[in-house]
Amino acid sequence: MSVKQHQITSFEAQPLDLKNRRNERLVRFFLGWVTMLLILPVLLILGVLIYKGSPALSWAFFTEMPRDGMTAGGILPALIGTLWLVGVALTAAVPLGIAAAIYLSEYAPDNMLTRIINLAIINLAGVPSIVHALFGLGAFVIFLKPLTGGTCILAASLTLAIMTLPVVIVSTRESLQAVPRQFREACWSLGATRWQTIRKVVLPNSISGILTGVIIQVSMTVGETAPIMYTGAVTYVAFLPESFTDETMALSLHLYNLAFVMQDVPESLPFGVALALVGVVLTLNSASIAFRMHLRGKKKW
Amino acid sequence: MKLYTALTLAVLATLTSCGGNVNGGNRTVIQNKGSDTLVNVAQTWAEEYRKIHPDCAVAVSGGGSGTGIAAMINGTVDIANSSRVMKERELKMARDNGNNPVPFIVGYDALAVFVHKDNPIESITIEQLAAIYGEGGEITRWSQLGITVPGASGDEMVRVSRQNNSGTYAYFREAVLGREGNYKLGSLDMHGSKDVVELVMNTPSAIGYSGLAYATEHVKVVPVSIEGGAPVVPTVDSAGNGSYPIARPLFMYTVGEPEGAVKDYMDWILSDVGQQILLKKGYAPVGKL
Repeated sequence: MSVKQHQITSFEAQPLDLKNRRNERLVRFFLGWVTMLLILPVLLILGVLIYKGSPALSWAFFTEMPRDGMTAGGILPALIGTLWLVGVALTAAVPLGIAAAIYLSEYAPDNMLTRIINLAIINLAGVPSIVHALFGLGAFVIFLKPLTGGTCILAASLTLAIMTLPVVIVSTRESLQAVPRQFREACWSLGATRWQTIRKVVLPNSISGILTGVIIQVSMTVGETAPIMYTGAVTYVAFLPESFTDETMALSLHLYNLAFVMQDVPESLPFGVALALVGVVLTLNSASIAFRMHLRGKKKW
Repeated sequence: MKLYTALTLAVLATLTSCGGNVNGGNRTVIQNKGSDTLVNVAQTWAEEYRKIHPDCAVAVSGGGSGTGIAAMINGTVDIANSSRVMKERELKMARDNGNNPVPFIVGYDALAVFVHKDNPIESITIEQLAAIYGEGGEITRWSQLGITVPGASGDEMVRVSRQNNSGTYAYFREAVLGREGNYKLGSLDMHGSKDVVELVMNTPSAIGYSGLAYATEHVKVVPVSIEGGAPVVPTVDSAGNGSYPIARPLFMYTVGEPEGAVKDYMDWILSDVGQQILLKKGYAPVGKL
């Protein structure tokens, strides 16, 4: 009896087990490699950019005006211009987006109108950037010319803001809804109003999620070329923007021009600009990630 | 919250205080947009002009002659660059919007015909070009011109052209195919003169055209003749004196008769200093220097 039991418990791999194990290993190997391949483009892009672009980089590259038909000198006006564009776009989109998200998450009843609004937001996110560009040209440059003065930072940034609004709204709403309902109920039971609850409990607890949305927005905004090309960014202007009624250079458009339009541009220059562009995105991102981690550290649950 | 209140106030303040071209720091902004052919010269002009007029910001954009003319019609530009004349319809639209375009010829450009470096062709006639590029034209193979291109994968000609809002595209059609002529379908339409040159450089069986200023040592510039005449090499001189058959004037359109900063800028462009810059970029100046 005991011998028989021993025979049952001792496991001998049957052909089926072997086949399963082989398949398992094969699938694991295949999926693993596909995942590895995804890293490849990132490594390749960064590798090529650093290899070809780093000779162009220097302190002067970031602090000088372009010179000699944009074939030499730095990228200062484009760098500052991009920061302006991103700054004004964020100023416009973030308060609007957060306000809309708070309404949708905390106040809006689940009815037809709310569903239509949600559908509109999703559709806005799906509109190609060149369509946004044409919309911005028509709305902010031509129609609102008395207000914006034609092509300028304001027009370009508002175009970018509209383009990135859905990102802010969706990510803010998600993070508001991630705050447990019990938090709100506890607050309400103490006699707090809806707005007091939102201000003192919901927003502080969801700020890291909201910032994630803002980070994504920044990355999108910095790289966009089409929406700013016809609304406020120019090929060349030897002045730094002083107000948002000025036109400005921008890194993304500068890269396009160096690569495809201007003559006699040394090869390392466009790569240097591309590296700077990636650098700006990474810097802005890591700043907000650090801020987010700081805030999350304070979270008590 | 306080930050946003402050920012909103700042937005309103700036919007109410700023109208027109002059901005806070008392500097004048000239918006200059259009032709990709002119964009390199326009950029250098803006760069050099800053050195003598540090208070005048010239903002230069490319995008093609059509882009500049559209901006002129919409009134979002002070000077539109164009490598073709504005059409009657465009002039009317601009005037209807209260912007009266005034043309200035700021230089001349020879349209060069490019082939690959290894292509043995010695010259080409306007009529042959029309048969190559024009609708209904018979030439589609190099052998029809009696030429074998070494290194080419086939005998088929690769026709390189431009996108249809390009002034270069419009002028080449007018000068080679005639006013009523149309391009043959099936050409590769590039989005910039630089792209045309690069494609021809890398394609043995290609033929393309663009402003002479975009010629590099990596492509062959083919001398052009009118049937029966002697082939002329496109140069700054032959473009300026009219002996090269496909040379065109380059325009800058101002909104109304220029005055103030725009007039100063246009005067400087047409002065010897401005024209020297144009010459250095490979275009023919207006008049003798």
